[in-house]
Amino acid sequence: MEHTAVSPLAAMSRAAEDPTGYVEQWKARTGGRAIAAFPMNFPAEIAHAAGLLPVIVQEDRNPITLGNNLLSEFNCGYSRNLADQAATGRLDAYDGFFMADHCIQLIGAADVIRELTAGRRFYFGQLISSMNDPWTTDQARLTMTDFVDELSSFAGVQITDERLRESIKTYNRGRRLLRALYEQRRSGDSRFTSGELQTMVKSSMVMQREEHNALLEELVAQSSAAPRDDRVRVHLSGHFCHAPKPELLEVIEESGGIVVDDDLFHGARYISTDADESGSPVDALVGQYLDRNVNIPCPTRAQSDVDWDTYLLNAVHSSGAEVVISLLVKYCEPHMLYLPELRKALEAKGIPHLLLETEHEGMPLETMRTRIEAMFEQAKRSRTLTRVPTA
Amino acid sequence: MASLLEDKSNRLRMTGRGGELVGAYWDELFTARERGAQVVWYNGHALNPLFQAAGISWCHGEAFSARLAAQHLEGPAQLAGEEYGYVNELCSYSRTHLGCAVLTNDFGESETGIVDTVDQRELASRLPEPDFFVNGYQGCSTGQQWDQMSYRILGKKVPIFTLSLPYMFGSKPDAGYLVGEEWETATDYVVDQLEKLIEFLEVQTGRPFDHDKLGEIMSYIKAASQLRREAMALCMAKPAPATYWDWVASIAHINFMPAEQRLIDYFQGVKDEVADRLASGVAGVADERYRLYFDGIMNWNKLGWLARKFADADAAVICGRYTHQNFWQEPQLIDPENPLRGLAQHYLLCSNSQGFKTLKQAMTKDCDDYGIDGVIFHASRTCRAYTNHQHLLARVAENQLGIPTAFFEGDIADAAFYKDEILETRLAALLETIDAKRARN
Ligand code: SF4
Ligand code: SF4
Repeated sequence: MEHTAVSPLAAMSRAAEDPTGYVEQWKARTGGRAIAAFPMNFPAEIAHAAGLLPVIVQEDRNPITLGNNLLSEFNCGYSRNLADQAATGRLDAYDGFFMADHCIQLIGAADVIRELTAGRRFYFGQLISSMNDPWTTDQARLTMTDFVDELSSFAGVQITDERLRESIKTYNRGRRLLRALYEQRRSGDSRFTSGELQTMVKSSMVMQREEHNALLEELVAQSSAAPRDDRVRVHLSGHFCHAPKPELLEVIEESGGIVVDDDLFHGARYISTDADESGSPVDALVGQYLDRNVNIPCPTRAQSDVDWDTYLLNAVHSSGAEVVISLLVKYCEPHMLYLPELRKALEAKGIPHLLLETEHEGMPLETMRTRIEAMFEQAKRSRTLTRVPTA
Repeated sequence: MASLLEDKSNRLRMTGRGGELVGAYWDELFTARERGAQVVWYNGHALNPLFQAAGISWCHGEAFSARLAAQHLEGPAQLAGEEYGYVNELCSYSRTHLGCAVLTNDFGESETGIVDTVDQRELASRLPEPDFFVNGYQGCSTGQQWDQMSYRILGKKVPIFTLSLPYMFGSKPDAGYLVGEEWETATDYVVDQLEKLIEFLEVQTGRPFDHDKLGEIMSYIKAASQLRREAMALCMAKPAPATYWDWVASIAHINFMPAEQRLIDYFQGVKDEVADRLASGVAGVADERYRLYFDGIMNWNKLGWLARKFADADAAVICGRYTHQNFWQEPQLIDPENPLRGLAQHYLLCSNSQGFKTLKQAMTKDCDDYGIDGVIFHASRTCRAYTNHQHLLARVAENQLGIPTAFFEGDIADAAFYKDEILETRLAALLETIDAKRARN
């Protein structure tokens, strides 16, 4: 394990902002192999149990050049950025590619990556996305078992139940630590900004888990609770597969808001659910996959007995958020399909809702600032009218 | 938009007659309620043989949206969708159909703001409410979610069945077209899914499923499909006696019309007409100088317009991914004695559920077989399932096959995305490149 002279948060930030640099160092240090994994349901625990470093590929900051000639301009920025990373050698540090989700735009990016990185293994094991059928569990189990076989053969090791159970414990530990911070934020602790929490989650998708857990523990030990001020309490919603840009989070906070909860992939969604530590580890991962969509429903899954809008209303109620900001990745179809349901539910409860569309490049931050400020002013005015307690 | 003075496209007469068949099908569907029939709304693959065998009336969401777009009647439904909150970047088939669901739900209760009452009544009363949904989407995640949204718009009362179908990415080392472990495993899995769907249909109808009837239906489809493929193959001739636009005009028949003798008669008629043209040297484009391959889903608002536009430039669009790599394209796989396997395999073969490896192989074969000079890509703005691989395919055409390519923009069912000037200049440039290449050779 690396002993960093820098603070835990700085070490996490370094990995989050430069995953390739981290992967190269990790490989040099350990002699191990790293795989690129894709959001949002890849069972990283299995790769970890095979001794690999599974890294969820992050959107990077480079402008999209070659990627624009590989996927259409009306694909989401993340998928085009992935294509660009592949075309310009920015995925060269990875020894293989593994994916479990089937958003059609992600599939488009996957095929580009496979084509441009020929010679390296690309395995797509599609997890069943119809979540509440009598056969869902069995089918998900088959796919998980396939991942165990594929990753065993890729890594050249036998992934035993013991190894997998240990990996599950390691991942659960990290998720529990992060969830505790999220829970504290919900109940009024503002010691970490939303950007810092994002860094913690993002780096957990990149770093070797034992190392990340140690940093988290150190960070928690060093910090102490800070009471929340009276800024407008915000729930951030949506933004799949990749992280909203930190500067957007800053604009929200500079405009007089404080994020008290979220259902972002780079947030509560990613850390919401643990896998059972007893019993069959493959079944535990299946259970985790199914439970995650109940805990925070995702519009890339088809499940008619749970609703993202119901979840959102409950979350807003329990965190005391005053407004909801939906961050929509431009061209993200699953999110676009579900938005009217969210809007309807929030309107029915009189909860102010702002939709902001994000892009890989050229995001109109100042226009967003004006809209955010207007919303917050409105929220503050209604505070005085309704005398809602401020914290 | 420029108007084309002379129509040099020579469309098959038979497709005009086919249009009447399609009209009759929709009229029958619109009166399903009055006849006491159950109605299923379904999306994705051609599940209609199963519904026909179960004695249910079926409405294919994409087909209904495409029909509205082809008749330029999509406006009210799309407005209703927009008013409900669907962003215009979302699949326009789904937006149109979801708009219909909104209207169906609102009609009789409240007036939907910007969609006037007459339009509401017209659309809502024409598309009968579903008794249940069946979703059969494979590659496209939007297709799967779309029914989930319809289910919610209609108040979560209508039963829904989601068929889970794997995308054929080709992960296993031996994966290939119709071969390999993945193909076999996926087939078995989909057969199992279809058996579950049949159980669902039995519950919904309260009747045992008629397996013999399904076998009979599949024998009609097999025969019709064979005729369709044979007629297509006659277009390898130069000049081609029929064009891509004729195959587009016959999609409804092969994709969702009731399978009966009339279906065979229709494709027999198409094949006979193509054969007659071939014998008498009549071409699908008056002065065929260029032979093009069309990649992309159809722009239904512009079918007639595009046919004339390409013909005007002496460009015969001969074949394409949408028409030639879909819709029971491997009839030999259908065994009426054991119909589920053939059904399952055709669902898996849908070209927007195939990874690039297979698409590349299929495009290369069609370009070879049909003597293609250029590939035109329809970048359909709101259907990423179809645009996903286009840039990779263009690289193959240009770099490996030495065939020039061009892209134009449009959409499946939203006319706003089509830009005539872009097609005009890109097509001219493509044809010039073909000329230059010919001059060099
Ligand atoms: S879910 Fe949305 S953000 Fe993720 S790949 Fe699909 S379109 Fe892009
Ligand atoms: S995006 Fe294309 S493939 Fe997907 S549901 Fe719409 S029309 Fe079908």
